[in-house]
Amino acid sequence: MGTGQEETRDEDLMALIATGDEEAFRQLVERHQDRVYGTVAKMLGGTGPDVEELAQEIFLRVWRAAPKYEVKAKFTTWLMTITRNLVFTFVESRRSRRHEWQRKAEEDGEDLELAREASSGRTAADELSGKELAEAVDRACAELPNGQRMVVHLRQYEGMEFEEIAQVMGMSLTAVKALMFRARGNLREKLSGYFGASN
Amino acid sequence: MSKNRHEQGEEGLGRELERLLASAPPPKAPAWFAAKTLARLRAEKAEKRGPWLRIFQWRWLAAGLGVALLILGITRPDRSSLKISDAEVYAALHALVQEDEESRWWAGL
Repeated sequence: MGTGQEETRDEDLMALIATGDEEAFRQLVERHQDRVYGTVAKMLGGTGPDVEELAQEIFLRVWRAAPKYEVKAKFTTWLMTITRNLVFTFVESRRSRRHEWQRKAEEDGEDLELAREASSGRTAADELSGKELAEAVDRACAELPNGQRMVVHLRQYEGMEFEEIAQVMGMSLTAVKALMFRARGNLREKLSGYFGASN
Repeated sequence: MSKNRHEQGEEGLGRELERLLASAPPPKAPAWFAAKTLARLRAEKAEKRGPWLRIFQWRWLAAGLGVALLILGITRPDRSSLKISDAEVYAALHALVQEDEESRWWAGL
């Protein structure tokens, strides 16, 4: 998270971007690219062209919205709100596409289990690799509903306060805390076998 | 129950889960990410500007053509006033013949 000074610089950059300053835009992208890319990757459950394209689209939205940008909250809160909107829309459309694909696979008589394995991009060999714990964590997070996953990400990896998360999610503080409570229960259940493994 | 947990400071994920999640940090953006984003922005801007440019070009082309036709129409000589009378033709021919005769005289022919 940034300091107050950094926020001012973000706002200054946004003012310059509003005038069409591409150099200011490049600085803003470089400053926040890991935050946005990381969030998109965590929400989509991996890296790849989709993640890169969506992360780029988020910054393009920032460019387009710059002339209307008003300082109402921290810049990162606004940025993560745009990220949340686009990611949720993408995830929903991908889910419907995947359902359609699985339905066709079933109709064609293909083995659904194979289809599931292909869609998650995992093989048995991966399970035995040294990355097992990290992958199990990613898998457990990926299985969470969108809202819970986003709340966990913002809290755990972006270090956001619940008030900020509530702003990003467009929810009340109580609703966000309830989401976190449910996410914690789900993650504990899915990762119970790994407790103590990270020590 | 949840309220009690919140009051007890259990609003987050808890130490154990936080430790587990820390083992899978989010990936960083690729090194070329900013450059590619900027390139995409420029491509998008060019795409947006493209059709307008074409429209403006067509407008300028049409306007230029119109002005050229106008100028041509104004400066074009009135061909109807270029009629030459027979007398003028005879006078010109006579002048040529006379000139030829004078030349021959000077040449002693």
